[in-house]
Amino acid sequence: MATERPKVLLQQHLCKGCGRCIESCPKHAITLGTEVDQASGLVPVMIDEEKCNDCGLCISACPEPFGLMREEYELEHPEHLFGERERPRATPRDVPPHDVPLPRCEPMVLKGNYAAAVGALLAGCRHVFGYPITPSTEGAELCAKLLPKLDGVFLQACSEVATVNHMYGASGAGVPTLTFTSSPGFSLMLEGISYMIGAELPGVFINVMRPGPGLGNIGPEQADIKLAARGLGHGNTHAIVLAPSSPQEMLDLTMLAFELSLKYRNPVIVAADGYLGQITGRVTLPTKMSVPGLPDWAVWGDAEHRNNLINSIYIDWADLEEHNRHLSAKYRLMEETEQRATGYRHEDAEVLIVACNIPARMAKAAVAELRDEGLSIGLFQPLTIWPFPIKQLVPLLGHAKRLIVVEASDGQLEDELRLALHKADVTGLEIHHLRRMGGMLPSDREIVAHVHQLLEVSR
Amino acid sequence: MTTATKPNAFFQHFDRHAHGKGLKGATTHYCPGCGHGLAHKFLAEALVELGVEERTVMVSPVGCAVFLFYYFDTGNTQAAHGRAPAVALGHKLANPNSIVVSYQGDGDLASIGLAEIVHAAQLGVPISVIFINNAIYGMTGGQMAPTTLMGQKSATTPYGRNPLHGKPMHVSEMIATLDGAMYVERCALYDQRQRKRAKAAITKALKLQIEGRGFGFVEILSECPTHWGMTAEESEAHVKNVLEKVYPLGVVKDESREPWFHLEKPCHDPEKVLQVLETTRETPPSFLAGRFPTHLDAHDVALKFAGAGGDGAQTAALLVTKAAINEGFDATHIPSYGPESRGGTSYADVHVAKDEVLSPAAPEPHVLVAFNAPSLDKFGPTVQPGGAVIYDSSVISRVPTLREGVRVFPVPCGQLARELGTVMVKNTVSLGAVQAATGVLHDESFLTALRLSLANKRAMLPVNEEAYRRGVQAVQAQLAQAH
Repeated sequence: MATERPKVLLQQHLCKGCGRCIESCPKHAITLGTEVDQASGLVPVMIDEEKCNDCGLCISACPEPFGLMREEYELEHPEHLFGERERPRATPRDVPPHDVPLPRCEPMVLKGNYAAAVGALLAGCRHVFGYPITPSTEGAELCAKLLPKLDGVFLQACSEVATVNHMYGASGAGVPTLTFTSSPGFSLMLEGISYMIGAELPGVFINVMRPGPGLGNIGPEQADIKLAARGLGHGNTHAIVLAPSSPQEMLDLTMLAFELSLKYRNPVIVAADGYLGQITGRVTLPTKMSVPGLPDWAVWGDAEHRNNLINSIYIDWADLEEHNRHLSAKYRLMEETEQRATGYRHEDAEVLIVACNIPARMAKAAVAELRDEGLSIGLFQPLTIWPFPIKQLVPLLGHAKRLIVVEASDGQLEDELRLALHKADVTGLEIHHLRRMGGMLPSDREIVAHVHQLLEVSR
Repeated sequence: MTTATKPNAFFQHFDRHAHGKGLKGATTHYCPGCGHGLAHKFLAEALVELGVEERTVMVSPVGCAVFLFYYFDTGNTQAAHGRAPAVALGHKLANPNSIVVSYQGDGDLASIGLAEIVHAAQLGVPISVIFINNAIYGMTGGQMAPTTLMGQKSATTPYGRNPLHGKPMHVSEMIATLDGAMYVERCALYDQRQRKRAKAAITKALKLQIEGRGFGFVEILSECPTHWGMTAEESEAHVKNVLEKVYPLGVVKDESREPWFHLEKPCHDPEKVLQVLETTRETPPSFLAGRFPTHLDAHDVALKFAGAGGDGAQTAALLVTKAAINEGFDATHIPSYGPESRGGTSYADVHVAKDEVLSPAAPEPHVLVAFNAPSLDKFGPTVQPGGAVIYDSSVISRVPTLREGVRVFPVPCGQLARELGTVMVKNTVSLGAVQAATGVLHDESFLTALRLSLANKRAMLPVNEEAYRRGVQAVQAQLAQAH
């Protein structure tokens, strides 16, 4: 050959001595080594420079990126060897979402699932993934109908497991994403939610809860309070859990969920119930809608975001502990900042019903009736199940010494209440409960009777 | 001839590998002789040669290649076990301009992630899948993979894979049967010729994606000297002499398809969003001037529509809800179905409240509309004293005992509807009857709600308006008779 080829060099300390280069060499210039390299502790191959004609075939047989190189890279230490990066990387810009005014229009009449879907569109979400499950399906159906008209994407996944991983990918790319599901489907998504929390990815899960265990049925139940508040897959996980009680709140809290999800880089669960998914009512649209930006951490797939990594594996134990401490600090900040509650005639009440989701509606009706009878009773309604709104509850406990937890589950809400009270060192309360399950809801009449009985007994 | 350029789709220094300390900053975590390093190299070279490394997103699997992101100087996402194709689709659909590579081993892809890869291949969205088949689980310590050969010993087949574990899975052949897969090839790494082919196959799969043509799948028979208990040289020979006999090399599928994958930038124009949501800025006319039907209840009137699926109970209930909201009241509708899509029970609770509907269920309604006998039997006795029951007398002949002072209106809804040529409007007949019997809203409230609801099916409006009038007339005739 007329032109001289750059020499092939073996980086001895980067060679693992596997010998895959040996067979590739037409000149038989390479042999297995005999001496341990002091830097690597391994036995690198040997190249007979007399025989080597620098053809380079061995380079493409070497599984190590830098084991065999051309001499243009000749330097001794890898850090010197490869020098500075060829192109200095731009630091990705953080482009936050921004609001644009939404022209006024007439209130809509929407069922809860639709209202949440509309909330997602107004929050700027154009990427929805889902797997059909009653009683949440209408949400996905509306997204499937509307998103193509806005050049968005609805993809029906092959399972809930795939769904949450589509979300993981899309969210990793930096776009707002959402799914609709119901309890059995939510169970299947928990692994992925744990990954999203670990990798610090936003994402909104509308869980239209239905009764279990197992297949249960398609009625309403607050079946997943414990999963959403305490059991989001493996590891030290938490996510804000919002609890709507009307179609209007399905929209409002879904929009809020997107905001909080991005703010904390963490999934947010909207825990609705089967009734809420299906209930139709008046929904007033907000005065503004959100246009997404692109977060600086996104793996968008361009030069600017090339250095980014979405990941939940930290193989070094100390690194993973540090990561957990970082997540933990976020959880504490959520607890500090995001407790939300509302109520009804609760400011001066001596007896407080604690209820959320649809049972809060029944409780409200019962409170109205009992107040008419002259009883000092009110409703305390958590809008965040996690963090439990203990800050809003404690000031009411000066006059309210008796709490009645009304829920459509076997004490899952009460557990959250008791834990929050315990952590806040509140004692001396009488806590009663009324629980229905299986799709049966506590009716207003039942709540009234329960309160009557309770007061009768304690008088 | 081999190009000498170090592919800059690799990091210059592997800072993510044990913080890049010592030699780990420049070597992979793979065992000596492992095929992964070669597959990485060819992939990195191909990305650079195609000029797409800047817009590439690598999706790392779970398995030995979990640390792909240590090495690839591209966007990186690490996925849960088996879910890399699902994650890859999320990336591709979020940014169609990104080049997304899902890199998986045999346990990850062919066992736990089988559903995801099959559906991704059937879907055909252009992503590139690199499938490393070494017939064994590496990272977990040499257990059986779906691709483990018959008789092959592994940590979980200590006596060799036997028929109880089934036969080795031919993944490329299976993927090739799926419509979305455009290009499927099986390659190896054991000699220079195979390595060249592997590199060419990876390049081709990426090109298919870059051109928006389709889903590309490259299976690479790879060596696992550690868990095969062989030297690197023996491993190469094992692939050539044993593995390749079971998994023949070559192109399994290669179809040409015109570039088709394209997604517009999502729209965030408020006007367009409102249009898509079919919102209106026109306030619909109201006819009650806020006068609540206090003759029925001071604050909150409950209605129940009950029948079989297909009777139109839900549609009627929704119409009352819309009409009441147009009148400025609060209103809710809750459906309840059996598990059947058609023919099961179907009933709906409606509340119309002066200020706010508290409890949306209607266990004791003021008004019941029953389209079949079981519904009347079940809910008739729950109607409040002073309330009203309207039932379809064309199919119900027996009225159960009701509470005191409940007024009963037999209306042949089905028959009247059939006289109008379509039984579908029997629920509209019932609405006319409800209004005539109870005066809950105003005739025009219902007719306006009907017009708005049928805005896109105008042809259906006249028959519905007539059905409504028939319902009104049927009840008025009964009221006149009673006086």
